[in-house]
Amino acid sequence: MADLTKLFDAVVDGDAKTTLEMTKQAIAENIQPEEIVSKYMIPAMDEVGRRFEAEEYFVPELLLAGRAMKGALEILRPLLAASGAKPAGKVVIGTVKGDLHDIGKNLVAAMLEGAGFEVTDLGTDVSPEKFVEAVNTKDAQIVCLSALLTVTMPAMKSTVEALTSAGVRDKVKVMIGGAPVTDQYAREIGADSYSENASAAVAAARTLVAA
Amino acid sequence: MGAKVRIELDPLGVVLEAEAGATLESLLSEYGVEFPCGASGLCGGCKVQVLEGAAEPEEADLLALTEDEIAAGYRLACRLRADSPLKLRVEQWSMPVLSDDTEGARLGRSGLAVAIDLGTTTIVAQLLDLKTGEVVGLRTALNPQSAFGADVMSRVRASIESPELTRVIREFLGQTIADMAGHRLPEIVEVVLVGNTVMHHLFCGLDVKPLAHVPFHSAHLGEQRLEPEALDWRLAPRARVRFLPCLGGFVGSDILAGILATGLHVGPKLRALVDLGTNGEIALGNSERILCASTAAGTAFEAGAIRMGMRAAAGAISHVFWDGSSLRCGVIGETAPRGICGSGLIDAVAAGLDMGSILPNGRIANGTRELLLHQPVKLFQADVRELQLAKGAIAAGLRILLDHWGARMDEIECVYLAGAFGNYVRPESACRIGLLEVPAERLVPSGNTALRGAKLAIGVEEFPVMNIIEHVPLASDPQFEDKFVSCMAFPADADALRQA
Repeated sequence: MADLTKLFDAVVDGDAKTTLEMTKQAIAENIQPEEIVSKYMIPAMDEVGRRFEAEEYFVPELLLAGRAMKGALEILRPLLAASGAKPAGKVVIGTVKGDLHDIGKNLVAAMLEGAGFEVTDLGTDVSPEKFVEAVNTKDAQIVCLSALLTVTMPAMKSTVEALTSAGVRDKVKVMIGGAPVTDQYAREIGADSYSENASAAVAAARTLVAA
Repeated sequence: MGAKVRIELDPLGVVLEAEAGATLESLLSEYGVEFPCGASGLCGGCKVQVLEGAAEPEEADLLALTEDEIAAGYRLACRLRADSPLKLRVEQWSMPVLSDDTEGARLGRSGLAVAIDLGTTTIVAQLLDLKTGEVVGLRTALNPQSAFGADVMSRVRASIESPELTRVIREFLGQTIADMAGHRLPEIVEVVLVGNTVMHHLFCGLDVKPLAHVPFHSAHLGEQRLEPEALDWRLAPRARVRFLPCLGGFVGSDILAGILATGLHVGPKLRALVDLGTNGEIALGNSERILCASTAAGTAFEAGAIRMGMRAAAGAISHVFWDGSSLRCGVIGETAPRGICGSGLIDAVAAGLDMGSILPNGRIANGTRELLLHQPVKLFQADVRELQLAKGAIAAGLRILLDHWGARMDEIECVYLAGAFGNYVRPESACRIGLLEVPAERLVPSGNTALRGAKLAIGVEEFPVMNIIEHVPLASDPQFEDKFVSCMAFPADADALRQA
């Protein structure tokens, strides 16, 4: 029998190689993919988030853990789909039009995936129209907008407006984040939620889908 | 409207009018006075000296300032009221602005020229005699656009909303030149300005909107020549005013000037020029080819966003070192420490790494998430994180330029450190934290290379070096994220560089 606490530790340590090996071993031993995810991966990413909040971890550790988990999810995802497992929620994420910065956005995407969400990452410099289209085609419950520059923040507002005029604003929750973004700005532009960091984004997303 | 009271601010000579009896905090804030603790009367960072007029000390003054300071007329700006006319010396503005003592070009003809380093934060202007090359006048000041925001991006945003920024800087520099030259103003034949791309655009009245979004590229990066009359400057009508060309993206003519000043473009040796600021700029090359890039480093090098951070002024811990058994701190001025400035921050983290209190991943290892430097000044976990982001951005930028160049780090013969911060940082500490991954003896603090280069450009029509300079946009480089993240860690030990 594989010792799956090693899987938990490998994700927390950001050890991609061991994470992948342990995942393969678990699959080979017929452990249900839902169980691998819910009992080890999600708690591991929760622990990563806890350490980030406690200032023990920083961006590099978060990113390494995210990558380790992502590697494992790539082989788990088809199995999860085949078994009809439901994600914690569906999220569309991207950096808004005019902005190229994506490290913060990538971290949020990784943490949400680690928390069991189905995440569609639209990349950077994403137009309001592309956000609207993805919300529709992916049937997303949450759309996450990122901006790192004060000068690109207005694109968050126009994206919210585009969602409204496309008639999808009431079926999707809007979460925003990025260095210059504030809770007050979220309220000003009519977003549902603001998160200060990737770990807080997971808590916020869980609240939004539960609402 | 109530009665007005005149308030004069030295050393800039700014004169304002306040409502009689009103508090001065918001008015002073508009003119660039900073309130580090949010005007709570706690930190003493907004200290001013009352040169003329009277202001009775309040309880907060007595708590935050020493008896000697109170006696010398020092008060907290956040507690002052406009009860009577006041002349104040703003302590923050007395910080050293890095000038340059070298002579300018000797053109062998009579007349004067002006060289200006137009920085986002500070401005240095020199008046030069063209016959002798001598510096005959000097002015330093804070950029009056600071009232519209501290960094280039907030200036861009402010200027999209209002055309004021162009008017403010033109008027201010016109006045600065007039003050500096006095009756010799008509003798000025040339004014050369250098600065980053945003300063260039704002001074020249160019549209900054292209600098506000992807791909952050303006079509007007070239040298701009302006008529004194169009600037409303009282110079001789034939005097020419030139803002030297930008190099691309956010890399401005201050870096072109830095290249000219350091001679980066002369000879086959591979060398680099690094300007450590909110917008970090890097140039790498030799006589054949020069690559340049800019990278957002945040405000850590200026000790912004650092919990007990402050400018390099009296009371700032500017040097820290670990002597093997205890931490030793150097404080600016003969006063008790009350904060830490940028060079002190880098020293403190280097010392923390040496003593094992800070781990290579940046974590403060003693379980308290803080490190006491010198009572009451502490280094906090979040401060180390800010520095990791800043140094990661610079180190990653240099690594990417090296990749594009096709050279290894150890092939760099020397790294010139431009600007005020580069002059005060200890090379050993910059290496220890991995800010620059070359041996300390290859780091060369080079002073105000922007101003020196501007002086060299007086009377020079063309810059052939422009043909070998290539701008590398880092934000769109697929390698950037990986390199940035791996550069956030600190070297495991002081000798890591030599072994690598």
